[in-house]
Amino acid sequence: MNIYKRLEIRIAGFGGQGVVTVGKILGTAFTVFEGKNSVNSQSYGPESRGGACKSEVIVSDGEINYPHVRRADIFIALSQLALDTYISDLKEGGILIVDPNSVKNVPERRKYDVYEVSTTEIAHKVGGVKFQNCVALGALYPFIKDLIKETSLRKAISESVPANTLKVNMTAFERGKRYIKEHYVIEEN
Amino acid sequence: MKKSLDRYLLQPGVYYLQGSQACIEGAIVAGCRVYGGYPITPATEVMEHAALRLPQVGGRFIQMEDEIASACVLIGATWAGAKAMTATSSPGFSLMQEAISYAIMAETPLVIVNVQRPGPGQGYITASQEDVMQARWGHHGEGSIIALAPASVQEMFELTIEAFNLSEQWRTPVLVMAEEPVAHMRERLVIPPKDDIKIVNRKKPQDVGITPENYLPRSHDIMAPMANWGEGYNVNHVGLVHLEDGNVTKYSPRMHYECISRLQQKIEGNVNKIARVETEFTEGCEHLVVCYGAVSRSSIEAVKEAREERGIEIGFLKLVTLWPFPEAKLREIVGEVDTIFVPEMNLGMMKHPITESLRDRCRRVVSIPSLGILHSPEYILSKIYEELK
Amino acid sequence: MLKYLREEGPSGARLPLILCPGCGSGQVLNFTLQAVDRIILEDHIRKENFVFISGVGCSARLTSHYLNFDSGWTIHGRTLAIATGALLANPALKIIVFTGDGDTGAIGGNHFIHACRRNIDLTILCINNGLYGMTGGQVGPTTSAGTITTTTPYGNTEENFDLCKIAETAGATYVARWTTAHPYQTIRSIMKGIRKKGASFIEILSQCPVHNKTSPVAMLKNLKKNTIRAHKAGESTEGKILIGEFCDLHKPEWNESYQKIIDQFSKEKSK
Repeated sequence: MNIYKRLEIRIAGFGGQGVVTVGKILGTAFTVFEGKNSVNSQSYGPESRGGACKSEVIVSDGEINYPHVRRADIFIALSQLALDTYISDLKEGGILIVDPNSVKNVPERRKYDVYEVSTTEIAHKVGGVKFQNCVALGALYPFIKDLIKETSLRKAISESVPANTLKVNMTAFERGKRYIKEHYVIEEN
Repeated sequence: MKKSLDRYLLQPGVYYLQGSQACIEGAIVAGCRVYGGYPITPATEVMEHAALRLPQVGGRFIQMEDEIASACVLIGATWAGAKAMTATSSPGFSLMQEAISYAIMAETPLVIVNVQRPGPGQGYITASQEDVMQARWGHHGEGSIIALAPASVQEMFELTIEAFNLSEQWRTPVLVMAEEPVAHMRERLVIPPKDDIKIVNRKKPQDVGITPENYLPRSHDIMAPMANWGEGYNVNHVGLVHLEDGNVTKYSPRMHYECISRLQQKIEGNVNKIARVETEFTEGCEHLVVCYGAVSRSSIEAVKEAREERGIEIGFLKLVTLWPFPEAKLREIVGEVDTIFVPEMNLGMMKHPITESLRDRCRRVVSIPSLGILHSPEYILSKIYEELK
Repeated sequence: MLKYLREEGPSGARLPLILCPGCGSGQVLNFTLQAVDRIILEDHIRKENFVFISGVGCSARLTSHYLNFDSGWTIHGRTLAIATGALLANPALKIIVFTGDGDTGAIGGNHFIHACRRNIDLTILCINNGLYGMTGGQVGPTTSAGTITTTTPYGNTEENFDLCKIAETAGATYVARWTTAHPYQTIRSIMKGIRKKGASFIEILSQCPVHNKTSPVAMLKNLKKNTIRAHKAGESTEGKILIGEFCDLHKPEWNESYQKIIDQFSKEKSK
């Protein structure tokens, strides 16, 4: 993946799944710890919980003009509604990571490179569904490992989650990462 | 005033902050030590960051009972010697207009950040540029004002500092017309070394050898030195038309005209020193996009693509300063063009002064409106291609 | 007291005040300057620290351009918010606010109750003449029921505020009411209000001879006749207005409390 110009990642789900935090962690990791340029934005419905919520991260070695996703390279969908709403912006051949517990149907599945990760189940095993977002982050990592050091991501996580949950969030991250490694073979780009 | 605590100032380096936070960090660098505010979406984050940071640097924060009170806090704080600011959104901005009007008459420096939201009424809570006319004309009466349009987190930092500098230099309220996408996005912020940042403080009579006995609130100079309360200058601030020495009872139409035209000229007569624009590809361009704020980011991408993919000779002009409107600068930069596109997150507002300035230099001016959402480059391009086919 | 007034400026004479003959506001200015003069002398407070702020109305004209002090003639009803801002910038200022019944009780009502609630260090002198004088004699929030004014030509159908009660309930720590017919008590109260660290509210019932179409002397006599000292009132007030000191409490002042927050950061630094 060529990061020089522009990498676009979108994470979406319903309010309360920690979607915004994932975007913030990624942005922090790329900007503060990797020295790249990144823009992170989010939008949600008015409800604090439920509704549709999305977070976007645009990363570049150069300048970033338009701060939102035009054609996402990677899309993480944690709810069916989120998938339905935003799938059309994912580029053909783009990486789609979904939680099969909530995302039952991926329209035009063959257009994308789909990976199913049970973030909710893994999170439960680690300590609770609220750690789902770090599981998702872990699952994302193998797809961007050529662009960002794992330590950068870990440092960003430690800055973005409450200190007393850091250990569990790191475990969640590890499990997500491991799940992808154990269930999929990722082509080196 | 307490000396600022260096330890709590952000050191030079790379940060990853929200636009709202970058705004306050810029204010702190500029020397702002008083903030009075009221919560309103989508500007609340600016206020919350101020509440956190101001006492850390020896400043004072207060949440007031409404937006009117917030704007009034700035007036009193400035008169007592501090640099003061507030942030609000469109409905609150409407409430502040009387205070802004007063501050213009009393030549009172202050900074108001308006993280705009759509209207009218409660409207919505997302992207908007619908107050750009209110910025210039919302205050009752004559008198000009300065308004800036930040397009990035870096500009939220830099233009807030510039806003304070302009307000101190020209003794006027300055508006930072921000937008929700920029206020809420997180982006890289580079804080340069302290010595590289220019800070302007109000010219005081003590600095130019004027004693209390000789002090005139409005000297013959267009930039009257400003004494603070508490320094023995017996400063009397008024909102009525007045003579140079502050006398308010000897009314005459001539005194009235002189008093007001001085206020107007102070800003409008110095447009070239105050207003800034940024350009790309404008040399000999056939068409032009004129834009401001976050829309400039979508626009530059659209312009680059139109040039690369279809060979359209289209230029890009970004208004960093909305008011005073840089008509002369625009006429200097823009030669003969065919179509001027003006994408705005409103139904066409800055298109009016743009048209007024360049009507004789173009065949037509075309608005590209969008309400509640930032234009995507695709949307701007689709309109450009449609118009130019 | 003339030393505190600006008689002349480069544009010519500023005195006499534009107030109507017999207006009580001039007396209030006199009382205030006497109080300030004594405080400067007795407490050794610099004259530079005093600031007078007013809003709009007859009361507000006192600061329009007559005073040889730092001052501000500001926005109708918003004086207390402006004064609050000044105190945030410089807590050492001694701010005296001239306001009126409309400036405080109508358009300024919200700022009035919050300034009291915050107990911020202000001396609020409310010159209450029971109507809107500057604009020609309209009804106000302190006009009694039944009164005929230009906007109640058939009689006022509303009840009026007791501004002192509002101040006390809202949290002001020194509240008093006097009249222009009680000069010495008023001067003493103003001194007390200035000296007090906190929100002091002093209502001064005042005469408007022009709109009441009554001679000032008659009005002053009425002020004396129709008021009764609070501690003398007993069970019945005999239909009179209570005057006197209503409360004198000690509570933390706004800037004092906020200073503690700032100090916690300086403390950390010096560790």
